[in-house]
Amino acid sequence: MASPRLMEHEMRVGPLFFEVRVKTFRVGILYSTTGPYGAIGRDCRAGAEFAIEELEKAGSPVRIELVFGDPAGQPERYLDLIRTMLRDEGCRNVIGTITSLSRKDVIPLVEKYDGLLWYICPYEGFEANENVIYTGACPNQHLIPLFDYMLPRHGKRVYLAGANYVWGWEMNRLARELLLRAGGAVLGERYLPIEETDVGLLITDLERHRPDFILNNMVGPSSYAFLAAVKRLAERDPAFAPERCPVLSCDLTECELGEIEPGVAIGQLSTASYFESLASFENRAFKQRVAARFGAERRVSSFFAGAYAAVKLCAEAVSEADRDDPASVRGFLHARPRQTVLGALAIDPRTNHAALPFHLGRINERAGFDIIASHGAIAADPYLVGTLPIQHAPHLRVVQ
Amino acid sequence: MTRTPSFVSWRAAILHRADDNIERLKRQLERLGVTVLVQWKPLELAETPADIVLVDADQGWDDLLPWDGDDAPVPMVALLGSEAPGRIAWALAKGAGAIMAKPVIASSVYPALVLATHAHHERTAVQARIAGLEERLRLRPIVYDAMRSIMAAQGTDEAGAYRILCHLAMQRRLIVEHVAAAIVAGHEPVPRAM
Repeated sequence: MASPRLMEHEMRVGPLFFEVRVKTFRVGILYSTTGPYGAIGRDCRAGAEFAIEELEKAGSPVRIELVFGDPAGQPERYLDLIRTMLRDEGCRNVIGTITSLSRKDVIPLVEKYDGLLWYICPYEGFEANENVIYTGACPNQHLIPLFDYMLPRHGKRVYLAGANYVWGWEMNRLARELLLRAGGAVLGERYLPIEETDVGLLITDLERHRPDFILNNMVGPSSYAFLAAVKRLAERDPAFAPERCPVLSCDLTECELGEIEPGVAIGQLSTASYFESLASFENRAFKQRVAARFGAERRVSSFFAGAYAAVKLCAEAVSEADRDDPASVRGFLHARPRQTVLGALAIDPRTNHAALPFHLGRINERAGFDIIASHGAIAADPYLVGTLPIQHAPHLRVVQ
Repeated sequence: MTRTPSFVSWRAAILHRADDNIERLKRQLERLGVTVLVQWKPLELAETPADIVLVDADQGWDDLLPWDGDDAPVPMVALLGSEAPGRIAWALAKGAGAIMAKPVIASSVYPALVLATHAHHERTAVQARIAGLEERLRLRPIVYDAMRSIMAAQGTDEAGAYRILCHLAMQRRLIVEHVAAAIVAGHEPVPRAM
């Protein structure tokens, strides 16, 4: 197994030369910045880079060097890239993967080289690995509070649309279970490949079934095409306008709104543990720094903020321990909640998952989200061991 | 799968020498809400009740588990590093419904519990069904005796007698064989025509 690459840096101070040994730890950044979900990957990478810029400016007892890998959305390339990072590049920590397919693929290698994968995206749960830190939400932090909010307000006759892989399948399976427990009904269920943009059959099916709302677990171009098609449908039939039959996503963020035909998604809803519009002190300060660096137009998504927080946390852990092995980093994360742009982040030592707040956002005209409901940090329950999920759904506070 | 399988408050017995691998397995089971007992001696369910058993199929011996496969009272998972057919056969003979390869990886634990539990339920359901069918087969001569009594009393043919018997079974909410046994034993009068 490769050991962390140590580098010695010479620092020149005044007329004298001091030899200062600054340990450098390498951290892998494994995101597809091109391909069907490239918009998400680009925001993750940008967040990670911004964190490093800030760290370097602030000065640190250790130096973090990012090692980038871009699988371009091709599943097999994740394996080659992460193997190189872990085996040859000296990375013990890798922040990355977006789809569950790729996360599941790389985990055996992360275990083999005793690395630590930082996974920042919302996912479908049913996983807890000692070599993974999960700072993205699992269903008891997104889908369950979402249904707890929606079912009493919009009805229980739901249409399920999903991406044709484990995220879409498992989210919709759980949605079905929650609906049946709540006395609701699944009116229809359809799956599309990520890159499929022909959503005609889906729209025809919706027109026939006329649900109370639509759960959209599609990803990338299929999801963007669907939102545009629902807009056209609503123009023909007002029953499908967002205020009457909203489309709900659990992973649509600011970074993808630019990929969708302008204006068509206004009024639709999405959940996240972070929205740019959050009014917290940390977030306001964060947005000011982002604006100063990238300009006032730069949108911030939960992916940008999540990758930023992960790099910062990783750097703090490594600085404190002066080591980057998983046990030391986990020890740092488990010891107490750590302040991040996402809020105080507590990582449960039992599951390695973060407790996360729940926010429900409505897409506005400014390519952002107005937060319409929120809940404070919810401890992650990846295997839903909290018995009947719908009965344990947290109580939501309506903020608007 | 309509309901999410849950193992909260289950008790698991791991029959394996304690080591890091088993410690990792124990932690993963605890994440699922399972209480875990680890021991490397024969299991006495009366003393240490368990809802599921995970056994070292590499080193396990017959007396480690006091049952044979068909009689396994709880779901079973075999922990297996070896690929030797003899060890796989031992696991199957003891009633394993799932195999977890060693060294145990976290992602294999929940699926193995779901599979083993499913296999156990399926086997017990099939066993119950076979026992029911065997009982009915055993009682076939009695059904025929009862039908002959009805044919004699009613002057009807075999088909008619069987229809009368079925009708009575339905009224009594019993299976045909049990009604027939009651008639033959004299606990139930020979039925009159419907």
